[in-house]
Amino acid sequence: MLENFNRYVVANIGALSDGLWVTIYVCFWAFLLAIVLGLVACFVRMRVPYLRVVAIAYIEFCRATPILVQLLWVNYVWPEIFGFPQTVTGAGIIALALQSSGYLAETFRSGFEGLPKGQREAALAVGMSRWRIVSRIEMPQVALVIAPLVINQLAVVVKSSTLVSVIAISDLMYQGLKIVNQWYEPIEVLTTIALIYFILLFGISRTANYAYVHFQAKFGLANAR
Amino acid sequence: MFATLHNAFDPGLFWEYRVGLLTGLLRNVIIFAESAALAAALAFVVGAASLSRRAYVRWAAVAYAEFFRNTPEYVLLVWVYFVLPLIIGKVVGTKVNLSPEVAAVLGLGVAYSGFLSETVRAGLRSVAYGQTEAALSLGMSGFTTLRRIVLPQAVRRMLPDTVNQLVSLFKATTIVSLIAVQDIMYQVSMISVAEMRPVPLYTGAALLYCIVIICATQLFQRLTERWRRRGWA
Repeated sequence: MLENFNRYVVANIGALSDGLWVTIYVCFWAFLLAIVLGLVACFVRMRVPYLRVVAIAYIEFCRATPILVQLLWVNYVWPEIFGFPQTVTGAGIIALALQSSGYLAETFRSGFEGLPKGQREAALAVGMSRWRIVSRIEMPQVALVIAPLVINQLAVVVKSSTLVSVIAISDLMYQGLKIVNQWYEPIEVLTTIALIYFILLFGISRTANYAYVHFQAKFGLANAR
Repeated sequence: MFATLHNAFDPGLFWEYRVGLLTGLLRNVIIFAESAALAAALAFVVGAASLSRRAYVRWAAVAYAEFFRNTPEYVLLVWVYFVLPLIIGKVVGTKVNLSPEVAAVLGLGVAYSGFLSETVRAGLRSVAYGQTEAALSLGMSGFTTLRRIVLPQAVRRMLPDTVNQLVSLFKATTIVSLIAVQDIMYQVSMISVAEMRPVPLYTGAALLYCIVIICATQLFQRLTERWRRRGWA
């Protein structure tokens, strides 16, 4: 057991850590893009009269399609129809971002709709512009309330990112499967990978939990969930 | 414009391969049903154990739930498919083979039992403890109390969240194609290799999933709404 561990895991630690960096890189950009797309979709859905239908269709499509299907769809279909993404890494990032942006848009909306309407009316009455109301009055409160949910969505992104190995992005899972296919000794390598992902995700979900408890105690938020 | 649209979405291609695709979808549904049953059964045991009076039982249940909630489904699936047979083989002493279908059901079932056990736990805790105490003081056994008093109320409160979990389980059944279960995504990749036309097939698959899942979600929401109105849930 230990001998195998040394031969297959320790000897390949370089490849595995490269894979881990790719995973982190993909997740970081996908999550950032998802937040931006989610905010846009959320605002269009709430505030733009005619485009609302488009935003609803977009959100529902993103939420109702499995990540593997989206991944293959973006990877094979988008380059032929839209002309981008040109690399598999780009396709992976876009697919992960698409999926999460749908969920995040709904999370943001629940945050904005949870605010009392009177605040907005009062701000309008004192003559604040719409953008200023969002940035000064609504955003700071919403950010605190939804922070745990957004962090949990990061956990979903990391979880789904295991699938980008399917379109040959050399993430942690890809490197692990490569070693397995090379030596056909899966026990140690796959168990190590499962543990690495577990530690990553457990850390993220603990952070979300901490944000939930901490913010609630510190700012006296109403029950967000 | 029309040519691009036709290239992007071609229902005729789907009609041509309808038998294979529907067989694939059926396999998805079967794997979904089996792993949902496994997950529910495990989740009830773990959820009940996480409220046990014995500290070590509680800790074991929490560790189980946390581990399977925080490990990606794909990693679990691959682990069950490649590693589990080897470990069983070493323990038993003979070579064991796990068919992809069995591995898929085991992997997904165990992964989702982690999520569902949290739902079960929340549901069981939502029934006021005074009711259990009252039932016990009337002389009901622990099991009877659970069966007659706690579960009927808890199950109703679990329903909406369980529906959400089941929808994500159905979405997760797409990944079983990666361990060569011949489900719908497997068929789609096979056909797109044969036809050399990935664009309409993957677009069609995405739309198909979208429609199936939105319909299923709506249906379940209607049903739970009706149950609630009748006072069942």
